[in-house]
Amino acid sequence: MRETHFKFLQYLTGIGIFFLVGLHLLISHLGSGEPTEWSSVSQRATSAGWLTIYILILVFGIYHVMHGVRGIILEFSFPQSAVKTLNWALVVIGIAIFGYAVYIPINAYIV
Amino acid sequence: MKATRDIKTPLPNRLGIKGWAWAGRYKIERYLYTLHRITGVGLAAYIFIHLIANGFRLGGEDSWEGIMSAFSNPGIKFGEYLVMTAFIIHALNGGRLILQHMGFTLGKPKPPIYPYVDSMRRRRPLTWIMLAVMAALAIYVLVEFVISGA
Repeated sequence: MRETHFKFLQYLTGIGIFFLVGLHLLISHLGSGEPTEWSSVSQRATSAGWLTIYILILVFGIYHVMHGVRGIILEFSFPQSAVKTLNWALVVIGIAIFGYAVYIPINAYIV
Repeated sequence: MKATRDIKTPLPNRLGIKGWAWAGRYKIERYLYTLHRITGVGLAAYIFIHLIANGFRLGGEDSWEGIMSAFSNPGIKFGEYLVMTAFIIHALNGGRLILQHMGFTLGKPKPPIYPYVDSMRRRRPLTWIMLAVMAALAIYVLVEFVISGA
């Protein structure tokens, strides 16, 4: 993929995060009730809809963060070989974070 | 002598991180770029803290209630307000950047008649509108989330 494609994905994931996190904030934190109480957390954990939203936020969020961090780091001129290493390092870190983060809602949904 | 530089060799970033804040006569859009960076890094840090806190859910009710009671203090409440404000700033400025990068805010081409108006000045009303919406939403969240919710 070319840089422009990665950049375009950055825009798409940004728009996705805006709507999904906005939904998450409006329903969970700005609505009535206490969203962080165990009963409320447990109730949301059984919902396939919330599980889908959490997974989508993770996919979009981790890509957006990793690509954003890459953009910041690459402003500090590196040789091409270092850029390749950085790309792979960010991919591995992103997958590791996704693996850890997605386990929590899936575990809560199943158990 | 080579007329053009090797494109695989990046130009040195002489200013480094200082260039985010000052490199001469910056306009409002350049400071918004800095704010976008700061809010982005801040939100990324918050996401990782949020994910670690979510991990306490795996320990059951006692573990969850323990971390939530540790988080229920005015300092954390203020931090949450900063996170929501950072989200508003990053999202609205990101929307402005998408519109500009995709060429939606360029307007129709005009003949170059003196005094010339550069593209930044032609887009500036959008920037001011966005800043007004940002301020209104930040105040709304402060009243609704912090003051009323306290």
